[in-house]
Amino acid sequence: MRKTPALALFGAIAQGSLAAAESVPRGVGPEFIKYYKDKSTFTCITTPSVTLSFSQVNDNSCDCPDGSDEPGTAACANLDSLSPEQPLPGSSTGTTNTTNPLPGFWCANAGHIGAYVPFMYVNDGVCDYELCCDGSDEFAHVGGVQCENRCDAIGKEHRRLEQQRRESKERSAKKKQGMLKEARQLRLRVEARIASLKKEIAGLESKKLELQKKYEDVERSERNKVVKTGEKGGKLSTLVELSKKRVSELRSALDVVLDQRDDLLDRVEQLEEILTKFKEEYNPNFNDEGVKAAVKSWEDYAAAQADEKKSDLSDADIMELLKEDGETSGINWAEFENGDDSDVDAGFNWLPTPARDFVRGKVDSFRIWAMDHGIVADTRGDVGESRAVKAAREALEAVKNDITSKTSALEEEERDLTKDYGKNDIFRALKGKCISTEAGEYDYELCWIDRTTQKSKKGHGNTNMGNFVRIDTEMVDEEERADGKGLGKGMRMVLRYENGQGCWNGPQRRTDVWLACAETEELWRVTESEKCVYKMEVGTPAACEDIQEASASAKDEL
Amino acid sequence: MHLSGSLSSWTAYLGLLSALSATFAPAVAVKEHDFKKCHQSGFCARNRAFADHALAASSWESPYNILADAGSFKDGQYQGVVLKTINDAGETVRLPITISFLESGTARVTVDEEKRQKGEIELRHNSKARKERYNEAENWVIVGGLALDKAAKVEQEDKTQLTVKYGPSSKFEAVIKFSPFSIDFKRDGQSHIKFNEQGLLNVEHWRPKVDKPAEPEKEDDAADSGNEDENNEGKEDKETKEEPKKEDESTWWEESFGGNTDTKPRGPESVALDISFIGYEHVFGIPSHAGPLSLKQTRGGDGNYQEPYRMYNADVFEYILDSPMTLYGSIPFMQAHRKDSSVGVFWLNAAETWVDITKGKDAKNPMALGVKSKTSTHTHWMSESGLLDVFVFLGPTPKDLTAKFTELTGTTAMPQEFAIGYHQCRWNYISEDDVKEVDRKMDKFKMPYDVIWLDIEYSDDKKYFAWDKHSFPNPLDMHKQLDSRGRKIVTINDPHIKNVDNYPVVQELKSKGFGVLNKDGNIFEGWCWPGSSHWLDAFNPAAREWWASLFNYDKFKGTMENTFIWNDMNEPSVFNGPETTMPKDNLHHGNWEHRDVHNLNGMTFHNATYHALLSRKPGELRRPFVLTRSFFAGSQRAAAMWTGDNQADWGHLAASIPMVLSQGISGFPFSGADVGGFFGNPDKDLLTRWYQVGAFNPFFRAHAHIDARRREPYLHGEPYTTIISAALRLRYSLLPSWYTAFRHAHLDGSPIIKPMFYTHPSEEAGFALDDQFFVGTTGLLAKPVVEKDKTSVDIWIPDGEAYYDYFTYDVIPTAKGKTVTLDAPLEKIPLLMRGGHIFARRDIPRRSSALMKWDDYTLVVAASKDAKTPAEGDLYVDDGDSFDFQQGQYIHRRFVFDAAAKTLSSVDYEGRDSEAVKEGEWMKKMRSVGVDKVIIVGAPASWAGKKTVTVESEGKTWEAKMEFTPAEKGRAAFAVVRKLGVRIGADWKVVF
Repeated sequence: MRKTPALALFGAIAQGSLAAAESVPRGVGPEFIKYYKDKSTFTCITTPSVTLSFSQVNDNSCDCPDGSDEPGTAACANLDSLSPEQPLPGSSTGTTNTTNPLPGFWCANAGHIGAYVPFMYVNDGVCDYELCCDGSDEFAHVGGVQCENRCDAIGKEHRRLEQQRRESKERSAKKKQGMLKEARQLRLRVEARIASLKKEIAGLESKKLELQKKYEDVERSERNKVVKTGEKGGKLSTLVELSKKRVSELRSALDVVLDQRDDLLDRVEQLEEILTKFKEEYNPNFNDEGVKAAVKSWEDYAAAQADEKKSDLSDADIMELLKEDGETSGINWAEFENGDDSDVDAGFNWLPTPARDFVRGKVDSFRIWAMDHGIVADTRGDVGESRAVKAAREALEAVKNDITSKTSALEEEERDLTKDYGKNDIFRALKGKCISTEAGEYDYELCWIDRTTQKSKKGHGNTNMGNFVRIDTEMVDEEERADGKGLGKGMRMVLRYENGQGCWNGPQRRTDVWLACAETEELWRVTESEKCVYKMEVGTPAACEDIQEASASAKDEL
Repeated sequence: MHLSGSLSSWTAYLGLLSALSATFAPAVAVKEHDFKKCHQSGFCARNRAFADHALAASSWESPYNILADAGSFKDGQYQGVVLKTINDAGETVRLPITISFLESGTARVTVDEEKRQKGEIELRHNSKARKERYNEAENWVIVGGLALDKAAKVEQEDKTQLTVKYGPSSKFEAVIKFSPFSIDFKRDGQSHIKFNEQGLLNVEHWRPKVDKPAEPEKEDDAADSGNEDENNEGKEDKETKEEPKKEDESTWWEESFGGNTDTKPRGPESVALDISFIGYEHVFGIPSHAGPLSLKQTRGGDGNYQEPYRMYNADVFEYILDSPMTLYGSIPFMQAHRKDSSVGVFWLNAAETWVDITKGKDAKNPMALGVKSKTSTHTHWMSESGLLDVFVFLGPTPKDLTAKFTELTGTTAMPQEFAIGYHQCRWNYISEDDVKEVDRKMDKFKMPYDVIWLDIEYSDDKKYFAWDKHSFPNPLDMHKQLDSRGRKIVTINDPHIKNVDNYPVVQELKSKGFGVLNKDGNIFEGWCWPGSSHWLDAFNPAAREWWASLFNYDKFKGTMENTFIWNDMNEPSVFNGPETTMPKDNLHHGNWEHRDVHNLNGMTFHNATYHALLSRKPGELRRPFVLTRSFFAGSQRAAAMWTGDNQADWGHLAASIPMVLSQGISGFPFSGADVGGFFGNPDKDLLTRWYQVGAFNPFFRAHAHIDARRREPYLHGEPYTTIISAALRLRYSLLPSWYTAFRHAHLDGSPIIKPMFYTHPSEEAGFALDDQFFVGTTGLLAKPVVEKDKTSVDIWIPDGEAYYDYFTYDVIPTAKGKTVTLDAPLEKIPLLMRGGHIFARRDIPRRSSALMKWDDYTLVVAASKDAKTPAEGDLYVDDGDSFDFQQGQYIHRRFVFDAAAKTLSSVDYEGRDSEAVKEGEWMKKMRSVGVDKVIIVGAPASWAGKKTVTVESEGKTWEAKMEFTPAEKGRAAFAVVRKLGVRIGADWKVVF
C-alpha cells in the first residue's frame, strides 16, 4: 500500500499522492495533463464509458479498465500482455491483456531530462536513478527507502558526457572523412593500376601479333633448311620441345602436390601430438567407454604406423627434382636443342642416387618408347629447329606469358574493385589492418575484410572464427554505456565472417562483427552468443554518421 | 568452459580423434552399462536367489526365530534376540533385536548382529575398517520423534508370540511371532504391514573366509564384464535348483565391476527383509527414480521392470526414463495406499539398497487377508551392509504419513523467499559482462527473476573458492549490480578439491587430514572436474568446521550477502571410480567404510555447506540456500534438490512431474527439474511448455549444458517471449501462496504440490495419476501440457466441487470422477480453481521477489458450489530471510468466506493474539501492507446491483466499493472489492 501508515491505519481514502501545490496528479506526463484537469471526476482515457470520482486517481487501486486512473502508482502495472490474463470488464479486450494509454510514470527530473519510468518500477524500493534522477518514483518510501534528488549531479554529468560524445562524434566524423579520402585514393590507385595494366596488355597484344608474324616468317624461311637436315631430327626437336614443356608442367604440379603433402603431414603430426598427449594424460581408470575406445584405437593406429615402410624417395631428392633444368641441374635441354643430336646419356651424376635412378629410369624408358615408335633414330642425331626459329618462338612465348600474368593481375584488381568495401568503399582504408582484445583466456583478433581469430593465451593454438563474406545492416537496441563503448540503438553495420574452423560436434564457426561509431578502431568485446557463433562489438569511425547528420541527431536527443 | 575454441580438455582430443577416424560410435547413448544390474551386485543377486528359492519351495521356513525367553518388554520397547540357524547341524548366530513403539504411533524394528557388535570378528587385508554394523545412520537422519510410547502395552504373550497395543487410542497392534520370526502390524484389528511374511529375512552373519581348493571364478568374470547378457534368470534358477543347500560364495570376498575391485574386508554382510502391504495395490515413494509415481513391479512380466528399484546415489549421466535405475539421491521411505488408508515404512539404511516389488491377489497365508480378497503388494528390501532398521507407519491418511515421517527426519527448512522465485542458470555464464548482460536483458524484457547461477567455469581452473581472474576480475561489482534489484548469485562449490600445488584449500585439507581415505588409510585420490582431486570427508566434525570457515566473506573473497551455494557432484561423483563414485572400501571418519555410508554422503556435504552459510560473518544469522544434487532422508532440513542432468526432450519434461511429486510425498518437496532440459537444445515449443511446468515446480530453475545453444527466456521471439513471460509472472504473482505452502511443509511435512491420492485418498481412480496436481492449500489444480503439439488436456476431476478456469473464471462443466477436456493452446496453462478455497496473490509485476515485499495483496475467493460450504484459505508471510519467524515475527492469516453469512473474514491462523506479538522491524514495516482487492469468483447472483460492502477492522467500520459482474457465456459471476483499506496483519471482516 502506497500510503502513509497513519492513513492506512484508518483505511481512509488516500489523497496523499497529490502534491499539495500542484494541480497535476503525480506521474502524469506533460502530454497527458489535459486528461486530469477536471478535479471532480475522472474519465478513463481510452475507456471513457467509465467515470470515477477524482479521489480514485492515484489511490493505489486500479479502477480504470485501461489503467489510466493510476498515473502515479504501480497499481495498474499488470494491465499488459505479459501478465497472467484475468477478466477485466470494460477493457478493450475484456481482460487484463490490454494497453495502458500512459507510457509510464512521469519523472520530471528537473535539472535533467524528464522520463517515463515503467509503472512496475514505482514504489518497489529501488531508486532507479538512471530513469528517475529526482527519486520521485519511490515517493511511498516502501521498506524505508529514501531516494534523494540527484538530478543536479546526474544532469551535469549527463551534459558533460553529451558534450564529450558530441565532440567525440565530430572528431570521429572527421576521421571518417579522412578514411573516406584514403579509401577514395586507394580506389583510384586500383583504378590507375587497372588502366595501366590494360594499356600494357594492349601493347603486349600488338607486340604479340608482331612476334607471331615474325615467328611464322622465320619458321617458313627456315623450314627448308630443317627439312634438309632430315625429318627425324625435326621430329626429335619437336619432341624435345614437347618434353621440356611437359616436364616443366609436371614439375610445377609436383611442387603443388608437395606443398599439399607438407600441409597434410603437418596436420597429421599435430593430431598425433594431440593424441599422444591424450594417451599419456588420460586416466586409465577413467570410467568412460568413449575415452577407453579412443585410446585403444589410437594405440592400434600408432602400432600400425610403426610397421609401415618409409618411401625411399627423400625430401632432398625431391627438392633436387624440382630445381629448374639447366646446365648444372636436371636435363640440359640445350644439348638436345642444339642440333648436336648425339645420343646423350645425360649425365645425371649430380643427382643423389635414388633420384638419379628415378630420373634415369624415366629418361631411359622415354627414349626406348621414342625409338620404338620411330620418333627417335637409333644412331644419328640431327638438328631440330634452328636457332633463329627458336629465338623467335621464345620471344613470342615470353610475350604470351607476360600477357597471361598481366591479365590475371588485371582480373584481380577488377575483382577488388567490385568487392564490397561498404558504402563509399570505406573499409578499403582498413584493409589489411587488424585489431584485437582479450577476453578470459583468449585474445580475439579481427582483421578487416579478412578473418577473425581466437588465440589461446595458454598456447592451445589459434582458431579461425570466420572469413569475411559480406556486410549487412541490422537493428540494435541496447543501453548506452557510460564509456560510449557500446552499440546503442539504431541501424548498425554487421560484417559477416563465416566458414571458420569447424566446432567439435557443431557447425563451422562464424562471427558477426557489429560496428558502432568510435574515434579509433577498437574491439570492445567478444561474446559467444551461442555455440560457435560469436559476436564482436567494434568501434570504428567507419561506422560514424556524417557530421551534418550527427549534429542533427544530437539536436533530436535534446 | 569459455568460447568454443577452448577445446582444452580431453573431450577436445576425443572430438578430434572421432573426426579423424570414424571407427567407433560416438558415445552419447545412455551409459546404462556403467551401472550395476542386480545380478552384478553380489548381495542383490544373493538375496534375489534366496527369494527365488524361498518362494519356489513348497514349504519354506525362514531360519530366523525369536528366542522366547530372552526377550523383555519395558517402557514401550521390546528387546530380545533373534536366532538365525545357519546349517543343518542347527548352529545359530545371535541377532539382537529391538522393537520400539514411539509416542507418535510409529514402530521401529532394529536388528543387529552380536558378533560384529562386540567386535569379535576378523577383518581381511589388515583393514582398519570398523567391525560393527554401521549404527550411526540415525545420528544423521533422525532429529525427533524417538520418544518411547510408555502407554504401549503387551496385550498378550506366550511362548509363540507377543502382541503389543500401541499408538493413538491403542488402535495399533504389533503381533510378533517367534517361530519363524515375523511381525504383523495391524490397525483397528486389521493387518496392514507384515514383516517376513514371505520368509525372505536375511542377515548375512560374519564368517571367516575358508579358502577352498579350486573355486570356480566364472561368476566373478561375469559380474565384471558388465556387458554380459542380462538374461540370466534361467541361470540363477538352475543354480538354486542344482545345489539348493550350497550357498554361492563367489561374491562374498571380492567383487569387481568395470575394472574396479572391491576388497570387502568384512565379507558378506547384507540385510534383507520382505515387507508386505496387505490389501494395498499402490506403493509410492523411494525417490529418486525416473518412473511413474505409483511404483511398478520389478520381477518381470508385461509392463513391469526386470530389475529391482535401486538406491545407490550416483552421477547418472543422461539418465533413461521409466526405469528403476538409481539416480542422484535416495529416500528409502515407501508408502502404500488404498481407498481411505495409507501406511508406510522407512528403511533406515545408507548402504546400497535394492527393492523388489511384486503385487498379487493371492496371499500365501489366507488368514492374512481381511474379509475379501484384494491385491497385496510385496516388497523385498535388500541392503549391502549396516543394521536392519525399519520404521513402520500405520497412517491412516497420506498426510499422517508425511507428518510422522518428517517428525522423525525433519521438515523442509523455511526457505529464503527468493529461492522460490525463478532461477536463471547455465553452464556457464562465462564472465561478469555476460552475467550483467543477462541481468539487464531480463529487466529489459520485463521478466522477473531472482537468482543468476555460476557453474564450475567461474572458478580458477576448478579451484573452488577462487575466481577465474580473466573472466571474473571484479566479482563484487557484479554482486552489487544484482543486489541493487534484490537479486542473488549462486556459485557452485563441490566436494572434490583440486589436487594441485599452491592451492591453499587442498593443502589444508591434506595437512589437517580432512579428506576421505582409501582402504589403506591414505588420502583418497580420484578424478573429477579439476582432474586429480581429493574429497572432503564431511562425516568428520572438524572437517565440517573447517569447510564452514572457507565460506566466510573474508575467506571466499568476491562473495557477499547475496551469494548462495550449489553443491553438485556430492554422490560423490568420482569419474574414475566404480559406477562413477567412490570405492566402497574407502574409509570415512570413524573408520566407517564408504559402503556403509554411501547414500548419506551427499547429505553430510550439503549439511556442512548449510552450516557454513549460517556463519559467514560474526553476528549474521540468515537462512542459507543450498541446492544439492545428492540427498537422503533428512536433506529437506537444509537444501533444495533438482532432478539432475535431464535432457531437452518431451519425455523428460513429462517425467519431471511424477519425479517432483514423488519428492513431495517423501518429505523433500523443495524440488524441481532443469527447465529446458540440461542436455541438448529444446525447440521453442518445448522450452515454452517447460516454463509452464517449471512455474509449478517448487524449485524453479532453468539450466543448460555448456554445449547447448543460449536459451535465456527473452531470446525466442514472439509469441514465445510473451508466453514465457506470462508463465514467469504467474509464478511471481502466486509467490505468496507458494510461500504459504512452504510454511505448511515446514510445519508438518506436507508436499508443496500434491498428487490426487494425497488430496483425495478415497478416490481410487486418482491413485495412479501423476500428471496433475494441487498446489499447496490453494485449491489450484494444474495439468500442464507435456506433449509435443498437444493443444488440449484431459483433467480428471476428483470431487463434486465447482471448478473455475484460473484465467477466464469460466465454470468448468465437471462431475466427480469424470475427466473434462480443456483447450490448451501453447499460450495456455491448464489451471483450475477448486471451489471452496481462498488464496493470495501479489498482482503487480516486479523485477524480483525482493521488490514485491511491500506490495499489497489480492485475495481470490473461489466460491464453493454449495453456498453452505465456506471457502477457506490462508496466507503466511515473514521477512523471508532471517530466523525471526521462530520468535513469532510472522503473519499467518486464515481467511473464511461464508456465502450464507455474507462475510469474508481474516483471523490469525493459529489463534494468536496479534497484539501480543511484539513487532520487530519487519513487522512494523508490514503495517503499511494491505489488501488491495478481493475477487470472489462464483459470487452469488443476488449481489447484482450491490455497489459497496462494509469493512470492519481494528475497531473501525467503513465502506469499500464493489463491482459485480454477472455470469455470462459460461463464465462465473464474479465480484471485485477494491481498496479494502485493511492491513494484512490485522483481523478484519467484510460484510457483503
